[in-house]
Amino acid sequence: MYSITRRSLMLAALTVSAAGIAGPGFAQSGEVSISHYFTGELGLKAFNEQVAKFEQATGLKMKESPVGHEDFKTDILVRAAGNSLPDVFSYWAGARVAFIVKSDSLRPIDDMWAKDKLDGVIAKPIADSATLYDGKRFLVPFNYHYAGMFYNRKVLADAGVTAMPESWDDFLALCKTLKEKGIAPVALGSKNRWPAQFWFDYLLLRTAGPEYRAKLMAGGASYDDAEVAAAMALWKDLLDQGYFVENANADDWTDAADKVARGDAAMTLMGTWITGYWNGIGLVPGEDYDFFAFPRIKDGIANAAVGPVDGLVISANAANPEGAEKFLSFMVSDTEVQAKWAEAQGALSANVNVDPATYNSVMQAAAKTVAEAEAFAFNYDLATPPPVAEVGLSMFTRFIDDPSKADAILKAVAADAKAAFNE
Amino acid sequence: MERHNRTWRVALLAPPLSVFAVFVIWPLFSSFYYSVTNWNGFGSNYSYVGLANFAKIFTDALFMNAAINTTIWMAAAIVVPTLLGLALALLLDRRIPGGRVFKTIFYLPICLSAVIVGQIWIWIYQPDWGLLNTVLSNLSGERIRYAWLAKPDTALGSVILAWSWQQTGLSMVIYLAGLTAIPEDLLEVCEIEGAKLWQRIVYVVLPLLTPSTVVVVALSVINSLKGFDILYIMTGGGPFNSSDTLAMHMYNESFRKYLMGYGSAISVVLFLIALAIIGLYFRQLRKVDRIYG
Repeated sequence: MYSITRRSLMLAALTVSAAGIAGPGFAQSGEVSISHYFTGELGLKAFNEQVAKFEQATGLKMKESPVGHEDFKTDILVRAAGNSLPDVFSYWAGARVAFIVKSDSLRPIDDMWAKDKLDGVIAKPIADSATLYDGKRFLVPFNYHYAGMFYNRKVLADAGVTAMPESWDDFLALCKTLKEKGIAPVALGSKNRWPAQFWFDYLLLRTAGPEYRAKLMAGGASYDDAEVAAAMALWKDLLDQGYFVENANADDWTDAADKVARGDAAMTLMGTWITGYWNGIGLVPGEDYDFFAFPRIKDGIANAAVGPVDGLVISANAANPEGAEKFLSFMVSDTEVQAKWAEAQGALSANVNVDPATYNSVMQAAAKTVAEAEAFAFNYDLATPPPVAEVGLSMFTRFIDDPSKADAILKAVAADAKAAFNE
Repeated sequence: MERHNRTWRVALLAPPLSVFAVFVIWPLFSSFYYSVTNWNGFGSNYSYVGLANFAKIFTDALFMNAAINTTIWMAAAIVVPTLLGLALALLLDRRIPGGRVFKTIFYLPICLSAVIVGQIWIWIYQPDWGLLNTVLSNLSGERIRYAWLAKPDTALGSVILAWSWQQTGLSMVIYLAGLTAIPEDLLEVCEIEGAKLWQRIVYVVLPLLTPSTVVVVALSVINSLKGFDILYIMTGGGPFNSSDTLAMHMYNESFRKYLMGYGSAISVVLFLIALAIIGLYFRQLRKVDRIYG
């Protein structure tokens, strides 16, 4: 006779949920579990090829579960909540890593860093900004991107532009010329909010400087300061002059990239991943498109480059920490892995020993721009804590929708950001 | 024998119940628990904050905004597909040429997933080459490039229209089924007695359709409570929170701001609202049952 009591039912339910919690404990010693967001167009195939090289070199086996870029943000949270983080996972350097370091969810890698002499592998500005949190190292940069003004070469040539703008006045003149020719100077697709952030980043960095900006990102300055208002005023001027495409808030970043590729617009401020997208639709780097660095605005301000760093981290209670460390070290140290990976991603390698000749001409120039920059700053949503970033990202789209309300918007954001910093 | 049956009943119910327990009951109580903490989603260093999260709800302007939008969303999601579905059913419930084709066409959208419906309407609303602006431009003779989904005044309404387009077919089919149950001779008698068309509809057809209406409204309520996906696809709550609903707001607070404790508090409030609506619905259902057996 089958008899199912309430107790056995509860027991069954508990067993099922316990299995979920205890999952990572079952990992075998020769196996390292990993979760990452390099899916589909973001290079799953290339990633697996690099992983295969690691497996061949070490005899360790990687057990992987790729998750789409946007879904990853929630998926990793859910896994953290269930105490079932993989040994290794990909994450965005900056405020997001700082956030999980605070929750004691990551394992420091200082010993491995020293042992494997990573100081000689990773460019110092990247190492300083991306790997250190509260004095300890937690992350190995896997690749990074740089945000610049990517433009359609033919459109600019047809408009008679020969020299790229270096100062703000040059840039305004360029926009004016293009507008008079009936071409929208700047494409922006801010439907998902983040593409607008690079404008705020660069305008603030070029007028108030990296130090003030770092203060603002950490809650030590306010959004109703004169510095922020000045940066926004420059942006407002561009919008008022009609230098941006109409309805930027209705478009994706790829829509904006398409507008530039088609020649409906001249340029777009975007990360180097746009090269991967454009190469994919048949554009030739250096021939069809190129980039210039965001122009200088004020003298005496340190020249900063903006971009995100994709990193690999090890969870605090990894089942196989030794294997995980080997993986991190190998993936950043092996120049062949780094070169192949950077190429597949349309990204820059974090490894200084990678031969620049492996890049196409545009990426070589991007690497040079970053190397010559006096500081490397993370883009807005990686530079400030997530609750604050939400406030700021919405501010950008609200401002683009109606720039005339800039003052009121900044006032409201100052209060909201302050509250968010206290969360 | 009775005992034997009961054992079997429990045995057969156990698998779905245990799944339900693990995937619904357990998370439900987890949210109750986390709603009184300041958990950030990572790690285990969080503390008890009492009712602070619930107090915050009253000062959170975005919560109020989301609550108003949810009210608009639910009211529209109930009224619009129900009225349109009823109108279509009344129109198609007679022998008209191509009637079956139209029934099929109007029903088709319900077979699509919300993601696909959302994408179709994103294209319709596209400012530069979308169907809507193209038609409006041709009609008015002016070049219209209004960004329906990217303007705070029209974002929510535009999504509601897309949603209604999908849901109307379902209401129509239920009403069509209900109409077949209304005896022809009754309507004939009315006609002979001199009742006009609108009188027949208002005083005879509509009251007799009450059971269908109960089903339609119930499905609309349930579907609108679930209606997170189409909004997420079409506007993501944007531009700048203007089309946020409570479900969207909960998602933002929990997964974008990592305020899992506050997000849980919002979900508890959402749960209570759903509970109240379902309670009301069951009360109404009992009334209808008493009248129509």
